[in-house]
Amino acid sequence: MACESESGMSVLEVQNLKVYFESVWGNYKVVDGVSFKTHKNEVFSIAGESGCGKSTLVDGILRLIKPPGHIHSGKVIFEGTNLLEIPEDEFRRIRWVKIAYVPQGAMNSLNPVLRVEEQITDAILDHSNMSKEESRELAISMLEKVSLPVEVARMYPHELSGGMKQRVIIATAIALNPILVIADEPTTALDVVVQKSILQLLGSLKENYGMTTIMISHDMAAHAQIADRIAIMYAGKVVEIGSIYDVFEQPLHPYTKGLISAIPSIGKKYVKSISGLAPGPLNWPKGCRFHPRCPSAMDICSEVEPTMKDVSSERHIACHLYE
Amino acid sequence: MSDQIMSQSLLDLKNISKVFKIGGGLGLISRRTIKAVDSVSFTIPSDKATITALVGESGSGKTTIARIILGFVEPTSGEVLYKNRRISDWLKKNRMGYLREVQPIFQDPYSVYNPFYKIERELEKIIKRFKLASSKAEKRELMLNALKDIGLRPGDLIGRYPHQLSGGERQRFMLARILLMKPRFIVADEPISMVDVSLRTTFLDYLASFKDKLDISCLYITHDLNVASYIADRIFVLCHGRVVEGGPTDAVIEDPLHPYTKLLVSSIAIPDPKRRWKEKTDLTSVESFEKLKAGEECIFSARCPYVKEICKQKAPPFLETKSGRRVACFLYF
Amino acid sequence: MSELLGSLKQRSSVFISLFKRSPALLVGVALFSLLLFLAIFEPIIDQYRLEGHKATELGYFVKFLPPSLKHPLGTDQFGRDVLGLHLIGLKFSLIIGVFAGGIATLISVCIAIIAGYRGGITDTILNGITNSILVIPSLPVLMVVAYYTRLNLIGMCLTLAAFSWPWSTRIIRSQVLTLKQRSYIELARVSGLNDFEIMFTEILPNLIPYIIIGFATSVTGAIFAETGLRILGIGPARVLSLGLLIQQALQYGLLTQKRYLEVTSLTLFLIIIFVSLNLINKGMDEVFNPKLKKVTGQ
Repeated sequence: MACESESGMSVLEVQNLKVYFESVWGNYKVVDGVSFKTHKNEVFSIAGESGCGKSTLVDGILRLIKPPGHIHSGKVIFEGTNLLEIPEDEFRRIRWVKIAYVPQGAMNSLNPVLRVEEQITDAILDHSNMSKEESRELAISMLEKVSLPVEVARMYPHELSGGMKQRVIIATAIALNPILVIADEPTTALDVVVQKSILQLLGSLKENYGMTTIMISHDMAAHAQIADRIAIMYAGKVVEIGSIYDVFEQPLHPYTKGLISAIPSIGKKYVKSISGLAPGPLNWPKGCRFHPRCPSAMDICSEVEPTMKDVSSERHIACHLYE
Repeated sequence: MSDQIMSQSLLDLKNISKVFKIGGGLGLISRRTIKAVDSVSFTIPSDKATITALVGESGSGKTTIARIILGFVEPTSGEVLYKNRRISDWLKKNRMGYLREVQPIFQDPYSVYNPFYKIERELEKIIKRFKLASSKAEKRELMLNALKDIGLRPGDLIGRYPHQLSGGERQRFMLARILLMKPRFIVADEPISMVDVSLRTTFLDYLASFKDKLDISCLYITHDLNVASYIADRIFVLCHGRVVEGGPTDAVIEDPLHPYTKLLVSSIAIPDPKRRWKEKTDLTSVESFEKLKAGEECIFSARCPYVKEICKQKAPPFLETKSGRRVACFLYF
Repeated sequence: MSELLGSLKQRSSVFISLFKRSPALLVGVALFSLLLFLAIFEPIIDQYRLEGHKATELGYFVKFLPPSLKHPLGTDQFGRDVLGLHLIGLKFSLIIGVFAGGIATLISVCIAIIAGYRGGITDTILNGITNSILVIPSLPVLMVVAYYTRLNLIGMCLTLAAFSWPWSTRIIRSQVLTLKQRSYIELARVSGLNDFEIMFTEILPNLIPYIIIGFATSVTGAIFAETGLRILGIGPARVLSLGLLIQQALQYGLLTQKRYLEVTSLTLFLIIIFVSLNLINKGMDEVFNPKLKKVTGQ
């Protein structure tokens, strides 16, 4: 078994992933060449607004794309193997046991007729060889780990609040001690106070359990609070990657700059939106996809698509301004 | 800045409560009641245009209050006065007069337009109903100007159906509608929550310009304190249907008095990695299973870290402190 | 109203895309249009085919001719061209279907919109009426009415409509209840529209798919009911619908004479009518029901 995760190399490496949807109207290039690496024991954020392709990216990594969508090309390397090439049943053994997934709106997909502990034990029994008793013990201990009172175990989903349901989902996800946890919009529809507790929970997974967390969200504030590194997505591509401090302090890509300036925040005096509208996946603009809205656009930007380059170690940017 | 009623307040909520019955049997056999709004009182002044934020989490009753003001729901008790006249009175005797002055901005741009018609029909409707133009030419000019003043290109919108426009464009169109009508008072319920992040401030800036240039006051309902701090002059904090604190936005956010407000402010996610949360949330204050008896105690008592005996027996009144801040908490009285 | 029609004109491209999405709809509409065409132009067609004579004219042609190019379905016991009779039958069946179905749809739409939108007591009362009519056994009542009154075409249509309107009402009403919750209805209210305007300019246009489905169902129901009544011998004698033709054929003993072709062909015409209407229904469902929509990748 290749020891990728040991030597500080990537836990998950995505190489030039492309996910397209075919329809009578044309080819929707929703994810169009995304590459990034996540390291062990970090919180890696993928940020972007609606329509940038981030949710489809996750579906692609987890092989959850259904027709007419399909993975056009690319690799997803996990523990030395390309996840896109292994047979389905082998992947199913990895999914959930080694890679846990908290999908968008998961808290609404809890089975309403099962008690909480049954939901968790079901998932555990499906993916392991434990006995019923062992799985039950594990379930209870997981509830404790996500700071839910033990009486929740015998309750039904409708008796729980949104925040509690989300914790149950996270408890189920980490029950089998995965290496990687992927959470898609984990805090939408949750109240501010609950959001903080869920984000802190996700952020603690690396210290407490040595898990790597990938968080996908349009909420830049959420990323700012718990991420170590962040990738900014726009129009199906990644435009900037770097440490959370670097990216927020000194955003390089004009879109990142615009995005960060556009968020109102307490004490912030200068806030400004980005002009124009995000393009759609049916016809991405020629050249750099941001150029119609970019205040620093040059001639080359409307002709040639910029490629991802390293500005320094761990700082990558796809923009003609930095070539 | 206190809320003393000077000559006349624009909007005056007096002890508004709303109880919803949940259960079958034509509402006669109700199994449960939910007190969505509980003895809420506040005013919107009329001397100067203001933007007042109504902040609270889901279940705090803020949307119900909005619907009461717009006349969609009748309060179970208490009264709402607009320009010193009951809203129920307005709606019965002078509904068009009321609607001329009080208009909403809804949250969801994807369901707020009738998909069957072209989008400009929304403007044509109000021009016709409120007699805003006396000729076709005047009508056309009004519409074009409203769109242009909101930064939309009329050519991009006129003749289009709602589904052909993006969420941001649709929500901006709502603003054009307001601009065309120029009401006196807007009730905006989370208007930017479904708009792309990079476009939100443009929207908020327009609301601010409505206040500054057109004297249009606004009640801005949101759960997001970041947004409230950006746009609102004053803020009222709602918890489980009751107002717990009120005052100028900056003061309330920098120096929250009520324990619930303190909790909210400390939970805000600031988009700056250098300003991260210092403490972990005390989970008992996040949510509890205790069922509250409506009206008998402070609604926050089950979660409050400063709870005292009296808090569990009486509901604290909403009073003004010596420094002019208003709060409903036994810590201060 | 004029804006509605204006916008309808510009929607022709919408129709084309509708048909692209559902072959069933395309076939159903095409088939039904063909039937309508035949029914409307029946006099001219028959004039042309039958050397200027009406299909009902007795004794012009030779009796009991076998099927041939000139008489694709042969001639009957009175020397009438059978195909011509079929076309007349088609015409009257469709007239009854469309008028009875149309009146029923009109009633059901009005009641459904008013009941669904107003709610409360209005809804309860209208619901009560709707359900009561559903419970009444229509066939015996129709028989009694037909027996004691001299039904003509209009009377037949009205009676049939009177019993078939409740069926679509429930479906349309539940759709009204859903639409009532939409934000655009609230926006219409604050824009100053009154209840009547909201019901008929905001809600009604969004019910069109359901109205069409209701109409197609009502037409089917009406023709079905009429045919059934005819076979029992009830109905105006001058209205030569397919049902009446079947009854005449049976009465004349064509079945016992082993002359199956004529009865089968009449039934076949009826089946084609029903199939076309059902395809329209299925197509509408395919296009407008989001759960059945084929994924287009959006």
